[in-house]
Amino acid sequence: MCEKSSITRRFLKKVFNDVQMIDGVEKLAGLDLDAVYVTTPIPSHFSVAKALYECKVTQNVFVEKTLAWSYEEAKELCDLAHSLGIINMVGYLRRFCVTFRKAKDLLSRNAVGGVSSFKAFAYSSDFLKTMRGSRAPISRGGVLRDLGCHAIDLALWFIGELQVSSAKLKSLTASGAEDSVFFRVKNSSGLEGEFCVSWNMRNYRMPEVGLSITGSQGVIEVNDDRVELRLNNGKSSILYRHALNDNVPFWLGLPEYYREDLHFVKSVLDGSNAEPSFYAASKVDEIIDQVERRAGENGQPK
Amino acid sequence: MGSQSRKTLLVGDNPFHNISHLSQDRARSRGATLTYPEYAAKLIMTSFENGASGFMFSVSETTLSILRVVHEKGEIQHLGLYAIVPYAYEYVKLATQVGGILGLAKKLSKDILLSRNVSAITMGLKGIARTDPISLMKAYLLYEINRIRYSAGKQANLRSLVLHEMITDMALALNLDWFFKSYVDYILNLGLTPGFNTCNFPWLVNKFKEWNLDLHNIVAVAPFNQAGFLMNPSKMDCEKALESTPEPILIAISILAAGYLKPSEAIDYIANLPNINGVAVGVSKESHARETFKLLKEKLNR
Repeated sequence: MCEKSSITRRFLKKVFNDVQMIDGVEKLAGLDLDAVYVTTPIPSHFSVAKALYECKVTQNVFVEKTLAWSYEEAKELCDLAHSLGIINMVGYLRRFCVTFRKAKDLLSRNAVGGVSSFKAFAYSSDFLKTMRGSRAPISRGGVLRDLGCHAIDLALWFIGELQVSSAKLKSLTASGAEDSVFFRVKNSSGLEGEFCVSWNMRNYRMPEVGLSITGSQGVIEVNDDRVELRLNNGKSSILYRHALNDNVPFWLGLPEYYREDLHFVKSVLDGSNAEPSFYAASKVDEIIDQVERRAGENGQPK
Repeated sequence: MGSQSRKTLLVGDNPFHNISHLSQDRARSRGATLTYPEYAAKLIMTSFENGASGFMFSVSETTLSILRVVHEKGEIQHLGLYAIVPYAYEYVKLATQVGGILGLAKKLSKDILLSRNVSAITMGLKGIARTDPISLMKAYLLYEINRIRYSAGKQANLRSLVLHEMITDMALALNLDWFFKSYVDYILNLGLTPGFNTCNFPWLVNKFKEWNLDLHNIVAVAPFNQAGFLMNPSKMDCEKALESTPEPILIAISILAAGYLKPSEAIDYIANLPNINGVAVGVSKESHARETFKLLKEKLNR
């Protein structure tokens, strides 16, 4: 375990007697590690993951979302992983949630026909009651990287490549804070989509992500709790987690954590590709960069 | 705990925190009324009049306010209190706002100091000086017990301190036998029943057997329902583990599978299980409180 804080290291050493504690990434070299999980704050993902490859700590790396702080950094990590690594994966947890998996399955079976548009949201109440001027939202890196990235990743997973056409950012908690974002996207086939992202929403006790996808034959609405299919011929169905075989061999927090870890570990053991890979995740960073650039063109922060 | 034929019927607190495990949409549609302490206290007392014998709650400002109202009405001594600690949601949210785990630790230390609870402060200082996680755990538990007693009064009948699933399941995953032993010993010494909230009931039972920890002394709080919802690794494994316990240690939660099941069929399933110590059920309306606890009393405590 690699941890910068000496106090935390001392306590963790007492809790995990048989685990070696290290205070710098480079010191992990030579330990013959099969894989490393990078769970540091987002701004340090790039430097930590880069050091893992360059110091030859391991060839198998899992990085919590988002992959990096910018698309440029993300691309560099993709190159490093390609030349020095084997398995790489980014923690876009919702790809392992049964409702979103069901929606992906419905889309791949063309259940609503050709997709023409979608609306996505990612909301929480995390900073609803935060005092004006607080630095906490800024230190979290902004709502797009913290929460919106999940909606972006799902949209890319469901629909494919997208380009940002317009964007608006709002600072509600402090000057320069990225608290609320609205942006539109389109693709080369004329499909259009929009995203609403905010961590200042009322009554979102837990962060929630959802999409409404419209096709020629109906609509799929999906969020963390349920997936609903409404067809133009009048047929409809709603499935909650209860009906989607959500049990796992060991539950910790949410069942999707188990599935995500299992997928990565299996990929390392089998040498098979893990998804979402660095490459897939870099596309989320690309969209976020585009949103910030578009918003900047309107004279908004970042 | 000892064998008993009468089941403990507890009011659960999820609706008072506006939690629905079916969907966040459902929780939002209920509105804020349920979170008002006066309203929640009235529901608890209606449940008590119809067969409930206690209240199971996560220790938070919301539930402590409810206990204050019940205390002021002079009814607190009638309720067996089962307190779940820590209220993980509140602490996770706090951690995001105060700069992670270290920020959270600082905030909690400050709260313990401000509580003027000499035992908790002494234990906490010992824990910091010796880098001793067990002393820190004890300091935290004393602080939470003090909060409950301060709100519920000296007549309060605190029966059990139940470790939240995030802690129980994490400690199970990490094989921290010393942690479970210390917790059980300490809580028993305080004259309370040690409780463990888990979403991995078979793991808990098997690990306790493996570590030679006495299952007679504890309560396990775990989901059991006809739909198999939240029953990991499977409904069948949970039922087998329940059969194997030497005593009725289980307080079943999520028996209605978050409203997915009809009360009558849900309770029939529970009534046919062996080794049930009791159930905890959340109610959101006066009529729910009356009907649900009448039904529970009729089917479980004939």
